[in-house]
Amino acid sequence: MAVSLNSISENAQRLGMRLQESFAEHTRELNSTASSIYLEPDDKGKNLRKQLDSSSDREKLDAMKRLVALISKGRNVSEYFAQVVKNVASQNLEIRKLVYIYLLRYAEHEPDLALLSINTFQKDLTDSNPLIRAMALRVLSGIKVPMIGSLVVLAIKKCAADMSPYVRKAAALAIPKCYDLDTAHLPALIEIISSLLRDRSPLSIGSVAVAFEAVCPTRLDMLHQQYRRLCRMLVDVDEWGQIDLLNLLLRYARTMLPRPSEEEIDVDVKVLLTSAEPLFQSRNPAVVLAVTRVFYYAGPPSYRSRFVQPMLRLLHTSKEVERVVVADALHVSRSSPNLLAPFYPQFLLRTDDLRQVKKDKIKLLVILANPETHQAILREFIDYADDPDDEVVSEAIRAIGKCAQLMPDCTQQCLTALITMIKSYRDAVVTSAVVVLKYLVQAQLSASSSSSFAAIATTPQQSPLTIISHLARRIDDIRHAQARASVLWLVGQYSASSEPSAGPAGIVEWAPDVLRKSAKGFSSEPPMVKLQILTLAAKLLVLCPTDQRLSLIGGYVFSLARYDLNYDVRDRARMLTSLLSGLGLPDSFTAKNPEQEDRGGVVLRREQVQLVLFQGKVGAVNIEEDQDTNAVLGTLGLITQKPMHGDYTFPDWLERGVESSLRDTAEDAPAPPALNFSSSAPPPQRAKGMPPSSAAPNRNSPIEGPKYMDLDKFYEDDEADEEEEEDSAESEEEESEDDGSEEDEDSESEVHR
Amino acid sequence: MAIDGLIVLDNTGRPIIQSGFRLATAAYPLLHIDAFNTAVLKSQRAGDIEPVIYVAPFNVSDPPTACCHVECGDIRILAPVSGDVDPLFAFAFLQTFIDILREYFGTISAATLKDNFDVVYQLLEETLDSGGHPLTTSPNALRDIVLPPSLLSKLLNVAGANITSAINSGSGLGAAGGPFSSPIPWRKAGLKYNSNEIYFDMVEELKAIVNKHGTTLSSSVWGKIETNAKLSGTPDCLLTFTNPHVITDCAFHPCVRLQRVKRDSAMSFVPPDGHFTLAEYRFTPSASATSARFQAAGATSSVLAKENVPIPFLLKSTVELTESGGTFEFILTSRMPSQTLESIVAEMYIGEGAGGVKCVAARGDGGNMGRRGMPDSSSGSSTGSWAFDAKKMVVRWEIPAAPPSSVWSLRGSFSSSSVVRPAHALQVRFAVSSYTFSALKVDQLKVTGEVYKPYKGVRGRATGNIEWRW
Repeated sequence: MAVSLNSISENAQRLGMRLQESFAEHTRELNSTASSIYLEPDDKGKNLRKQLDSSSDREKLDAMKRLVALISKGRNVSEYFAQVVKNVASQNLEIRKLVYIYLLRYAEHEPDLALLSINTFQKDLTDSNPLIRAMALRVLSGIKVPMIGSLVVLAIKKCAADMSPYVRKAAALAIPKCYDLDTAHLPALIEIISSLLRDRSPLSIGSVAVAFEAVCPTRLDMLHQQYRRLCRMLVDVDEWGQIDLLNLLLRYARTMLPRPSEEEIDVDVKVLLTSAEPLFQSRNPAVVLAVTRVFYYAGPPSYRSRFVQPMLRLLHTSKEVERVVVADALHVSRSSPNLLAPFYPQFLLRTDDLRQVKKDKIKLLVILANPETHQAILREFIDYADDPDDEVVSEAIRAIGKCAQLMPDCTQQCLTALITMIKSYRDAVVTSAVVVLKYLVQAQLSASSSSSFAAIATTPQQSPLTIISHLARRIDDIRHAQARASVLWLVGQYSASSEPSAGPAGIVEWAPDVLRKSAKGFSSEPPMVKLQILTLAAKLLVLCPTDQRLSLIGGYVFSLARYDLNYDVRDRARMLTSLLSGLGLPDSFTAKNPEQEDRGGVVLRREQVQLVLFQGKVGAVNIEEDQDTNAVLGTLGLITQKPMHGDYTFPDWLERGVESSLRDTAEDAPAPPALNFSSSAPPPQRAKGMPPSSAAPNRNSPIEGPKYMDLDKFYEDDEADEEEEEDSAESEEEESEDDGSEEDEDSESEVHR
Repeated sequence: MAIDGLIVLDNTGRPIIQSGFRLATAAYPLLHIDAFNTAVLKSQRAGDIEPVIYVAPFNVSDPPTACCHVECGDIRILAPVSGDVDPLFAFAFLQTFIDILREYFGTISAATLKDNFDVVYQLLEETLDSGGHPLTTSPNALRDIVLPPSLLSKLLNVAGANITSAINSGSGLGAAGGPFSSPIPWRKAGLKYNSNEIYFDMVEELKAIVNKHGTTLSSSVWGKIETNAKLSGTPDCLLTFTNPHVITDCAFHPCVRLQRVKRDSAMSFVPPDGHFTLAEYRFTPSASATSARFQAAGATSSVLAKENVPIPFLLKSTVELTESGGTFEFILTSRMPSQTLESIVAEMYIGEGAGGVKCVAARGDGGNMGRRGMPDSSSGSSTGSWAFDAKKMVVRWEIPAAPPSSVWSLRGSFSSSSVVRPAHALQVRFAVSSYTFSALKVDQLKVTGEVYKPYKGVRGRATGNIEWRW
């Protein structure tokens, strides 16, 4: 506002005249100046051509706004290209900007007409206003006309040496586009990049990193001489540039430097870590994560603790950021679970969390559980089983199962919780609980001889068999197909018993009753359950072939299954009856299956049938999920859990690293305080281009008037009091070596004018 | 790192504004709009949409992409990304762009964006390079390039005056003006104010989870120093605190000199012009400091862990669920020593298929019945009110102001066509004005580099977002 007010006073006189003239005739339009009228559907663009050709700026502006409105509605308006191109040299900047927006979208389709505009842009490249120069280059490089490729290279070269860092930034961003247009320009572009890499301005360096990654990502050797300086520059770069620069430097470190260990960290790795660390305090979550990546992939393990707090801070930024950071935290915890363990309360679920966040948090909590915290975490999981979302519920119940497995001393508690959950009236809870219980019981029984897990859990109430019997008694309450099937399988599998009981010999007391209950509703069961009822019946018959009642029920079930609609069920019934044919079952069974004549082939003995039925298949369900450990922290693939076609893997460290003297520059000669280098202290060479008189103004006696003339000095001043001596010592040495880099010196000092 | 472009959708899922896309196929933005709309349809609970949607490529040969999106008012902004770009990069840019829009238009809605679509397009052009890299994102620098819409500019537009080009070319302003003339990227050059003022608002939010026994499971206080600077010239400010040790995990605006913070916890900066967030921090309570500031609230406070900030209210809940519904009763008691808890909003999600909500909100343990939608403001404020949001399936209970140790209650019931599965927690938000949890206190503000002595205003505001399980 202040600027516009200022300019108004400057223009007041000129304005006054025109206002008087035109106010009267235009006041009507004041009411309708909201641009939304351009978005009205009936705007067919009838007069657009005439308006674009008119001599009045206002008409042209109106026409351009209508064109942009049409673009935004998804209409193809390339037919006006010729008229629009004529306005590219308009004196009115607003018209010109809209013309640029139009050109960038349609130039590709009209390369010949687009050539007409090139002259204007070339003229603009010499404009006195850096904004116009940068804009001209942006449009020039954005027009996808291969013919002008070499022109664009020339323009980029010119702008790369511009005195305004803003234009240099535009030049750097134009490089990848030029490269996309025609790869033949590569040598020229690399040359420009290497000159831009020497840029002293923190404003453009981020974009140079972008250009580098796009055009010559393998030429890391070009960075040798710049590496240390770029590291120190980090803190002054703009936030977006920091991200790109951090990634580039990290890649350099992984490719060129030796692996850091706890005892010995290479000086150059250390420089990167110390200069990146202050950026943890950035307000931009992407910068914080970029620094985290540097510490995760380039720091020794002991450095990892430093990114924990900044990462936790991001959790509170926004729902979307939380979604990403939780997934990243999960990835980090898989390799170092102790890092986040003390902070587990930060990852407790809130009811308004997004579904994926809830699921990731549960997975994370399982990893974070340790002997001190597992009690609290387990209680959380039990609470989460009440979540409104079924997916979250099953994740939580699976987590309880994992707890039982990982922490033997809470197995008891987990089992109690799971058994209580079976009583729930929610399908999702019951199903998940039964499936997890089945898995636990199976794991327990199959490892019962050796595992400590089983030894601890075999208290009277919680032994696997009691759990099964408990489940068996509740078979009527378990309604979900998969859960019922699991229970039936369990009952059949573990129904053998040598103890005498009230029921048929050789079978546990409660097993036949399960068969009776399920046979009653056989016809209305889903196929999955029918298959398990058949298996159960067969198993019981093998265990006790002589019992009259059992064979009656079995016969009933098998005869129903023979005529079932589902062929899997019919098939299973046929298979099992043939299998059982060698047992000599009582008439009550065979009577129901009249076709039980001898089919020939091998008839198995009872022991053999038992072996087939009980040990034919050990279907242990694994509640572990396969984890992709190859994903890289801070990438899209980690979040979507799908390959995103990014070749984003870090090379393994070098054994020795490349010769460190390659990175020695003349500037480093006076032994830079690299090791105790602290956050934003300006590297000594940044004192360059400063008039010696103001090199070290004293903080306590502020100079009147506009004290700062550029950013460098602005920062310099801040540190001046601390580094006064250092600076004065170093600036002398630099003065002598400055002659070597004449070009930089020129562009820098011109900024100050 | 780059995003592919930006799409603004209105609340029906139709695009209003689209940036240019660096991937050439015309179908690309449409694919993403489609993927987003499908995700909205599929979402079970209103608002619960996966923020990073995987978008399968149109051609098998194309790389797969993803769509990052953020809601803002009644619009959605989509940022398609491809390759292995950090999604946080997309979200960070979206947030920055939203902040810029807010700076320009005040409130953001589909209507305002449509009214100013040409300005939005210009902003897009300046903030996002056609390769998808952010360009100028500092509001101060942007205002030099893209003129904010105002009545004045409309007036001039009508008058046919070409004021924008005068500003942009810098000719009307002398040496000090013009874009990119400022040596400090975040601050405009040549500012002049008659009265030099700077205001600091310390806004703190208490986020906590309390279990059904009233024990705080996790709590943390996150603060922001929101600043509004109206200072002339290039002032160099030094902000010091009397008790800087209460804050930690800070994040700063780029203008703050990190070195100085590290040395003596003072913030030294040249502020941008206008509104900005100077710093964000976390409050680290030490046991002695907090217990002195809160009244001893009976037995429950002794249970609280050392690190926890006490929750300024107490919630007692009795909920009974049956197969086809449930009844609930919540009693909220303020525990603030002297301040009033303002605009308390408690929300409970009652699950898909639920309905038939009937409640009674009251003050005290009974009596003073208040009914839904009472137009009478006096009775509304004395009893609280409730409403049921059928779209989000949320029962909302509002208490405009709860003086210290006042008691409020909500009794009600709901029924459900399917199995009831409400969220087992009440989310309670509140605000306390002129109060901060951390009691962070500004010691002084020194301004050097300019001759004037600015007026300094400091204010505190506390908010809370508590999840109380039952």
